[in-house]
Amino acid sequence: MTTNKIEVELKNFFIFNSSWDSKEGEEYKKVLYYYPPTDEINTQVNNVGLVEAIIKFTGNFKPNAPVNSLHTQKKRQLYYQPEENYWMVMTLNLPHVAKSRNGSTVNEYLEEDVHDTVYEAVLKQAYLMYRLFAGTFCSTEKKSDVSHLRNKLEHFFSAYLKTLKLTHCDILNVFAGIHFLPLDKQNFLNVQCFINSLECNYPMIRYVSFLFNDSLIWSGIEPNDMQIIYQYLIGTLLPAHMETELQGGSIPRNPLSPFASLHYGRFITGPSNLKTAGSVGKIPKIFLNNETNPSVFYFIVYRALSSTVCLFIDGETDLSLHLFKELDEFMGPKLSSIASDIAEYCTKHITSTNTPDGAPRFIYFNKLNLAYKSTVHLDNRQTGNVACNKESIKVMADMNAKRALMGHAGETIVKTMNDYWIVGKISNLREFYIAIQQKNASLIDISDEVKKICDTELKGIFFHPM
Amino acid sequence: MNASTEPYLELSDNPVRFEAVNQVTNVFFDDSNKQVFAVRSGGAMGVVVKGSSEDIPAINFRMDDKGPVISIKFSLDHNVLAVQRTTTSVEFMNFNGTTIESEYTQNCKKNSSLLGFVWAQNNEVALITDHGIELYMVIPEKKALKHLKTTSATVQWFVWCSRNKIALLASSHGSHLQPILFKPGTISKLSKVETEPGRMTLERDVTLATLYDVPAVLILRHQSGPQTAEVHVHTLSGPGQAPVKSHVLRLNLSGRFAINVVDDLILVHHQASRSSQVFDIALPGESDGTVTYHKAVAPARSLKPTSLKLPGLVEPSTHKCELYSPNWVVFQPNIVIDAKLGCLWHIKLCLPVLCSQISDLPLCTQLTLKRTCGKDVLLKLILEHAKLPKPSLHKLQESSNHINSVYRSWAEAELQMQTASPPGAPPPSRPPSPPRVLINQADIYQQVLQKLDKEDLLQNLEWTLISYMTSLSEFGIPAEHTLNELLITTLVRRNKFTALMQMLQYGVVADSKPLACLLLSLGNLHPAASQLALDMLARLGANEEIQEVLLDQGQLLSALKLSQEGVSPRKFLEAAQNSGDPALFHSTLFCFKSSAQYAHAFLKDERLDTFIQHYKSLFPDSSNNSNSK
Repeated sequence: MTTNKIEVELKNFFIFNSSWDSKEGEEYKKVLYYYPPTDEINTQVNNVGLVEAIIKFTGNFKPNAPVNSLHTQKKRQLYYQPEENYWMVMTLNLPHVAKSRNGSTVNEYLEEDVHDTVYEAVLKQAYLMYRLFAGTFCSTEKKSDVSHLRNKLEHFFSAYLKTLKLTHCDILNVFAGIHFLPLDKQNFLNVQCFINSLECNYPMIRYVSFLFNDSLIWSGIEPNDMQIIYQYLIGTLLPAHMETELQGGSIPRNPLSPFASLHYGRFITGPSNLKTAGSVGKIPKIFLNNETNPSVFYFIVYRALSSTVCLFIDGETDLSLHLFKELDEFMGPKLSSIASDIAEYCTKHITSTNTPDGAPRFIYFNKLNLAYKSTVHLDNRQTGNVACNKESIKVMADMNAKRALMGHAGETIVKTMNDYWIVGKISNLREFYIAIQQKNASLIDISDEVKKICDTELKGIFFHPM
Repeated sequence: MNASTEPYLELSDNPVRFEAVNQVTNVFFDDSNKQVFAVRSGGAMGVVVKGSSEDIPAINFRMDDKGPVISIKFSLDHNVLAVQRTTTSVEFMNFNGTTIESEYTQNCKKNSSLLGFVWAQNNEVALITDHGIELYMVIPEKKALKHLKTTSATVQWFVWCSRNKIALLASSHGSHLQPILFKPGTISKLSKVETEPGRMTLERDVTLATLYDVPAVLILRHQSGPQTAEVHVHTLSGPGQAPVKSHVLRLNLSGRFAINVVDDLILVHHQASRSSQVFDIALPGESDGTVTYHKAVAPARSLKPTSLKLPGLVEPSTHKCELYSPNWVVFQPNIVIDAKLGCLWHIKLCLPVLCSQISDLPLCTQLTLKRTCGKDVLLKLILEHAKLPKPSLHKLQESSNHINSVYRSWAEAELQMQTASPPGAPPPSRPPSPPRVLINQADIYQQVLQKLDKEDLLQNLEWTLISYMTSLSEFGIPAEHTLNELLITTLVRRNKFTALMQMLQYGVVADSKPLACLLLSLGNLHPAASQLALDMLARLGANEEIQEVLLDQGQLLSALKLSQEGVSPRKFLEAAQNSGDPALFHSTLFCFKSSAQYAHAFLKDERLDTFIQHYKSLFPDSSNNSNSK
């Protein structure tokens, strides 16, 4: 059966400020950013006006919590107010299938496929990502002016929206979790000591984070900031770097001195080739602690073998090429040796996630440290590369959306039409979702199976008794 | 004088004073008993014997002058005095502590020429001649000696080490060096010292010493040409105490040297530059597989200037002593005698000063770990380093590694002593001797970490603590509770809660109930702390505590589900009552009433009646129903 399915797609995306009074005919001034730019000014103004009206109208019924989304037959509109009076709106075309009925084709819209929670998270993340690199809307407007804010938004979002993979958004977007590397104490402490000596020798380095492949080992910054940086690293920066690495063969070799300590480090942000660089080049700046004490930091990423070190350097520091050279000399050999130790540990102790095809799959998330683990997803790249059917993942998202009903702890079991069992467990602010495909299973079988998985996967943590 | 050039070696404050050498007085030193003999007019005018300290009372006696004395020594128990005046015989005199009682003589074998004699045991004396060694037993009561053993060897000169009872016999101009070991009643030859064939050695270039409880032959080797002198250390550590050339000390100087040993450190004095260098063979050095080459541990320094107080007519004057004087003679292990001045000093090492001149902390740590009074010095050193604004954490950790390596092997040895060995296994030979410097976690905690526990040093405390704990972990030593607790409180005080969470996540802090409670108390500020505390309790299997926590959080049902063994129904019922949820109260009450374990409690325990009453007030209609159950 070939169904011609059209996936979910972005209809429009805009940001406006509702507080600016507008004289008639000047409403377009409210609009700070609008996508697609091909929409006429009038359409833009109309869309914004409609959203404002909806927000105002619904506000009458529930003044303390603003409206989140609007469901229509063909569309879904999501609202997010990140800062007072600033609204971000995203409109999606629902996925649909063309079905022929009585000779004529009718589009069937799949409303259930689009979870509010998932796309709310996408919208929120868009804001957080912007804020990471550009600071709050409000501060930009205060510091310079609206046109500057418009430029910044334009600059950021026109690129960012292109990277959105709306089709593959799922429960992981809701979590926006961080994958921690399960490492032994000694290797962890070695990383810790490396970071301490780095911070001790270079006081301008305020925070350090340490990743191995796609997994975080150490973060000196708060989890909510790390969450966004992690998404950026894993989703954008590192994959881009890998590509150049694969093309150019980045490992610098120095055949002249085979006895020199192994040193494979290089800067990913900052001067990538210290020998030829004439200046430090452009170093990205980021905004951290936006909620409490916004401050600017240089964001320097250094990588050796599979280890990535993120340095957050005080934004006031005068960065010189000399400093980079010094850092390179300091970090390179140490990082290379730590990385190879970790790699050795991983090959020995962390069995690959190649679980057999039919085996149960799970997603784990801990709200308190934002740690997640998924055997449902086969990579961290949001490519839709999943090991169980999409329906199960959607059920998980549903369970997640309704988790408030379970209170401190609880369990939900769902059986789907195609012999999938989805179990959602919540305890102690942790969420654990399991998908099991088993024919002719009874509730008891599944319960036992879940217990087995919990015993191995949730070893050493407290999970409420059921 | 600033710290970097301050001398780290000094002469003892109170030298032993004796009559200086002059026309009528000869001075002898016996390095077995460490006694100085001032012999006036061959003994006729009296002999004054001073011990190695001014506290030991001097011995005075007279003996007949029968010619110039070559050598004079008391037996080890001071009952017999032996005097050598000729090259053929030694005279023995019984001594009662004040006067000489009787005399008798022992000649060496015919055609032999006596090179000297040594007291091998309390009552055994060995005459060393150019033909070998003759061992005799002295029998003071009979005023006679009994021949015990003779070993023949060609001897040109010999060196004696009283501590290890080893004599080194030299022949062929010192190119042939033969160590001899003395045991009660017997003597045995050890393997000869392997030197480059034909290489001659002077008597004054050979020192017998004890390094880390192992006898050693130290030979000064002067090099020709631009090369500088070396000291070759042959330790008697091979099979059957065979000498093995194991270390070479590179002096980077040439000229006249003298060697002392203080606290197992080799001091090499250089007369021309009036300075001394310090070597430690326990430190790592360049090695070619068998021989380790050492450099001085610190720059060469002169001894600390010293002066003598001389009684004067009007007021006492001071005499500045000439250091590295040509009149100096050094004896083992650490004695310096200036015969012209009539002074005997002991050389002392000032460890803190020496350490201050070694810039490398790990090296310094290795050095202090081997010194008898190194513990306080080392702890201070680490504290000082940890207090620096930018401490080298890498060095600090390396230093901790050296400390913990000693700590670990000691702990292992102790454990081995305590564990029962299977029957038939040989009993543990002897309790292992504790290392010279043993620094355990309590020491580091009290002497270093607690002293860093100040507001302005918290950052340093965190760094030091983590690097120490990393080192502990590397040596597989579990961290004690105080350290774990300090880590948690330090991170909390530094507002590094995220860091703390990660530490706990990766198991840096070992689980324990007290720590779980500490985390629970942090739960108000950081919800994650409660989660981690519950995890920790779960790993410890502490169901009771988990129940308490759950009850506290109002999760009554979960607490009840966890376990119903040995709980107090009252606690749960009270919590249910306080929850104000009638359904919950109902379930809780019926859960207990229907349980065989607790049903009878409702009959016995009057205090539970209030809950029945409460139930009746909540559900007036069903009260009869409830009672009937």
